[in-house]
Amino acid sequence: MISLPGLHLSNPTPEPPSTAESIVTRTQDLLACSEYRFEVPFTRTLTIRLLTGTAEFFGTELAPSSTYTFTGTKGAVYTWRGCKLEIGGLAESEYTSEETQMMSYANAHFALEKLRERSVQTGELGPRILVVGPENAGKTSVVKILTSYAVKAGRQPVVVNLDPRQGMLSVPGSVTAAAFSSIIDIEDSWGSSPISGPSPVPVKMPLVYHYGIANPDEGSLFRPLVTRMALAVTSRLEDDKPSRQAGFIIDTSGAISHGKGGVYENIDHIISEFSVNVLFVLGSERLYSDLARKYSNRPTEEAVSVVRLDKSGGCVDRDEAYMKQLRQAQIRAYFFGHGENTLGPHSHMADYDELNIFRIVDAASDANSSFRPGNDDDDVYGSTNNIYTKATPSPMIQNSLLAVTTAAATDSQEVIRDSSVRGYIYVADVDDVKKKVRLLSPQPGQTPSNAIILGSFPEDVPGLVS
Amino acid sequence: MSQPSAEVAADFKDALQDLKINSRPEISNLTLIAKENTEYAQAISRELENHIRTTRPEWKLPALYVLDSIVKNVGTPYTVYLGRNLYRTFMDAYTLMDPATRKAMEGLLKTWKQPVPESMDMRPVFSPEVTRDIENALIKFRTIAVQQQALSQKPGIQHNMPARPMPSVPWRNTPTPPQNATRFAAANDPRLRQVTLPYGQYPPSATPQIQSQPSISFYPQPPQAIDVEGLKASLSKLITSTQAAWALSPVDVAIQQKLKALLDLQMILNTQTLPPEQLKAAADQIQAMSPPPAPATAFTPPASIPPPVIASPQQNTSPLFPPSSTAVNIGQILANARPPVPPSPAPAATTPSLADMLRRVSSPMNSSSTPASVAPFYPPPFSAAPLPMAIPVPTAQSPALAPASATTVNLAQLLGQFSKSAATPMAPVPQPHSSFPQSQPQSSAAPLSTGDVKWLLNALKAQNLLPPGPPMSAQATPLSSEPMTRQVSANTGVHTDVDLTTASMKQPRFHLITKLYEAYPNICATCGRRFESSLEGKERKARHMDWHFKVKDPDVAKRGIHRSWYISEKEWIEYREVDEASPEQAVNGVTSATAAPKKETKDRYVPVPTDAALVHAPCPICQEKFEPQWLVEANDFVWMDAVKVNGKVYHATCWEEYSKGSSLAAPSTPDSVLGKRKAEDSIGSGKKVRAY
Ligand SMILES: Nc1ncnc2c1ncn2[C@@H]1O[C@H](COP(=O)(O)OP(=O)(O)OP(=O)(O)O)[C@@H](O)[C@H]1O
Ligand SMILES: [Mg+2]
Ligand SMILES: [Zn+2]
Ligand SMILES: [Zn+2]
Repeated sequence: MISLPGLHLSNPTPEPPSTAESIVTRTQDLLACSEYRFEVPFTRTLTIRLLTGTAEFFGTELAPSSTYTFTGTKGAVYTWRGCKLEIGGLAESEYTSEETQMMSYANAHFALEKLRERSVQTGELGPRILVVGPENAGKTSVVKILTSYAVKAGRQPVVVNLDPRQGMLSVPGSVTAAAFSSIIDIEDSWGSSPISGPSPVPVKMPLVYHYGIANPDEGSLFRPLVTRMALAVTSRLEDDKPSRQAGFIIDTSGAISHGKGGVYENIDHIISEFSVNVLFVLGSERLYSDLARKYSNRPTEEAVSVVRLDKSGGCVDRDEAYMKQLRQAQIRAYFFGHGENTLGPHSHMADYDELNIFRIVDAASDANSSFRPGNDDDDVYGSTNNIYTKATPSPMIQNSLLAVTTAAATDSQEVIRDSSVRGYIYVADVDDVKKKVRLLSPQPGQTPSNAIILGSFPEDVPGLVS
Repeated sequence: MSQPSAEVAADFKDALQDLKINSRPEISNLTLIAKENTEYAQAISRELENHIRTTRPEWKLPALYVLDSIVKNVGTPYTVYLGRNLYRTFMDAYTLMDPATRKAMEGLLKTWKQPVPESMDMRPVFSPEVTRDIENALIKFRTIAVQQQALSQKPGIQHNMPARPMPSVPWRNTPTPPQNATRFAAANDPRLRQVTLPYGQYPPSATPQIQSQPSISFYPQPPQAIDVEGLKASLSKLITSTQAAWALSPVDVAIQQKLKALLDLQMILNTQTLPPEQLKAAADQIQAMSPPPAPATAFTPPASIPPPVIASPQQNTSPLFPPSSTAVNIGQILANARPPVPPSPAPAATTPSLADMLRRVSSPMNSSSTPASVAPFYPPPFSAAPLPMAIPVPTAQSPALAPASATTVNLAQLLGQFSKSAATPMAPVPQPHSSFPQSQPQSSAAPLSTGDVKWLLNALKAQNLLPPGPPMSAQATPLSSEPMTRQVSANTGVHTDVDLTTASMKQPRFHLITKLYEAYPNICATCGRRFESSLEGKERKARHMDWHFKVKDPDVAKRGIHRSWYISEKEWIEYREVDEASPEQAVNGVTSATAAPKKETKDRYVPVPTDAALVHAPCPICQEKFEPQWLVEANDFVWMDAVKVNGKVYHATCWEEYSKGSSLAAPSTPDSVLGKRKAEDSIGSGKKVRAY
């Protein structure tokens, strides 16, 4: 553990497994085209090592005889050709299954490859893929598999995460995009954003915006952010040839797939802003038929292939308690690193008036937005001053996560909203008497004078710093 | 120390006996034995030749790969010894092979006419005299095949079944011997008879029969009640074992096809209620395709089954070289013995037969498919070899969608086909093949070799076994995806032929999986990343391994590492990913000295050299050592304030000072890259940060 000046910081990630537990290993034979499914809680670790054969974790191949350590993970090791695994530790639940959807996901990949090949030849944009479906239908898993396979085929797809509930290469509450040219980290969800030292799995460079609300269907922030993200991704793809050919894959929140009376405003918005031309619908028959109907009669230039993919039987419903632990683990990993990749954050004091905090106006309590007459869509883009309210620090913000934007405090609210995020800081302590806050920052430096966003999500993380 | 020649040869022979599939380690091992015992090269060569001549047809190709590996990796004196009899070794085997294996052999021959890749020796592997004779023989062989094909396409001779064997093997006592056959020494080689006897024990039946409507009276016994659940159980067992077999030989198309057929059958059984006859037929097939309990029973057809001679009209000449495994034989016999059930109502005689259609549609496709791709067998000697077998298959798929009305195929026959190609793990890829359709000894496999489940689905649909329309129908295209499909079809890649439709997602395409694995045979043991076996792939892997080595630097952990700030929107748009496996590129604000305004001298950097001599060398000017530091944009350790000039690394500032002072222009453009520091680097030094 790196010593930290002036603070007793510890990384409260679970203790390494007791030696007794880690010594007990067993072997598990997997038939071709089957998978080993497991759930490990955050309090335990499970190790998996590939002894013979080939195997993959959501599309990313396991290196022969490397030991992978999982904690707080629900997942599956799949094999196309059969393999033997060595498993250590105790899973909360585990079983093998021969009924998987991997063939259809592989088919999806090969169908996309056809479009990418075409892009290589013609120079036009590669496939623009959107994955939708209800909660826990396996959207993120499919996005990972498609990304891994594309990377394996030497492509460099951009992955866009529009689901604030679970961060990609960043904390929950954010929406991000990153080009993947190297393998996805098997142990650490999507992997790591850059750190000031080397990392055993190449880091990914995300573009991060802060959404700050759990549900994309709430409030007025989501769609402008989608628009902004689409702009950035499209700009990048103008000149970044490998990514242009590979196209992008958008992961979404289950919430936008619920729809209101068969209308899916956010899906429509994403499709039009990103010029989506491939729409994978996971699981829900109803959603598929609604969307297939809606997008079947588009002109050829704007054609969208609506393709249904079956939900994997391995998908687990994740309850709110688990999701909360997952979020906290992601936030912790942002400051302290993941696994053996330990990071040393810094802490410093700041005066109240050094911080320019903009609190997102809570959609639920904002009567105006709910009862907007005429449901005028332009409102979303109109110049408004009710996106944020300027907030003075108070004990209320203790334990909360703040997004440091690239915008200046004097910028308009729209500019702040559309600004990408430089990083996150955590409010470790508030001294209301001295009007000072103690901040945890990923790295040393002064208190940023930039506009800082405080949202309602993710929730407070008590005890991040003890 | 020195073993007697006989002993070495015996060892070698033993190792050869075990070679039944195209196994890279085994072939490597055999090559190694040959390499370490060049003094016994003559005896070893003799053993190898003998083995190729006498082993079962389906084991010959792996043995030929051993030969190939030895002559390419060891060279003389093996090229001399093996060259002497190469004509015979090659042609004897060639005549016994199915078309796909022949293609593979032709691919081998092609590489023998060229120098060993990456070798300094520019001479071909075998001398042109040796290869030329073989080539001439092959040309003749093809001519005969084409003549025979022409013959078979005369009106009046119509085959109900696709490409059932015509009088096969022009080399032997077929009813209609090809004119030129005897000109080949191999044809009269008595050993050939010897070799094939164990497999050629089925009495050749008469010449092809004119098609007639099969009569139900052939049916041996009334259909009995079938235990559907039991059937499903044995089917899923069979699927499991087939998957296991596929896992062993992932590029074996025959197994892939069997697997597809089985999965389809499973789908049928799970979704439909079949009439008893069809259930029975399916049950028999499953039984036949399952491994026989004991080898002894394998050759004894069940009593109730009529002998193959009175087989259905689809049955023409029995193969002279029947399929390689016993299970297969039963499957075939069963399939052939069973008349279509129920007889197809389609007026088959008036429509072109499926066989003809398949032959027609497949002809133009395969000519360009295999041989070229067999060539990259070397180097490394074995990695690429299986690929060509897998690749050609998808090429033939779509056109094989024969109109359903033309088929009179029944389920049993369909499965019989699969069972044939099924149990031969090393079985040559069945492949529609215009060059040798008639001489193909195992041609019953040919139609399915189109490798497309669509074909099967269509055929099944003709039997009303499959419901029309989605999701089962291969042709179903959801409305919404039509434009896309149309858009794309013009550019359809030969190998990737997966439509973006819901129905298409459900079709098993095991052959494509090789593109994720075997296409990149060279795996990084540290992280699992794969590389091609090409020279470029090797270089990429080498750089990648260097990178692993660097990031393992134990000193790194001691330094305080923290999360970096995210890059800004603009930086992200302009950012280009850095692949540690690619050669150094000038990217990410790093520009060549000429292209952009000069960067601050101290912001120049070079990646920390991997060269041991350089890595410890101090700056030649000030004699100070360089401090490695991690640079995010470079995704690498670098020395900041450094330039590399003529192979040495200097402090950029020292170098600038020096070249100014000496009033001489720098000898050459420094071969360093320019880079700017990240904001975070200056935060540490207490400077005011530009912006977050
Ligand atoms: N084949 C599988 N075997 C075991 N676990 C799986 C499998 N597929 C998915 N899971 C797990 O099931 C859970 C739900 O899957 P996933 O996160 O992909 O769904 P999602 O649709 O993205 O959910 P959300 O709507 O919450 O974003 C995850 O924890 C995932 O790791
Ligand atoms: Mg998800
Ligand atoms: Zn590696
Ligand atoms: Zn110096």
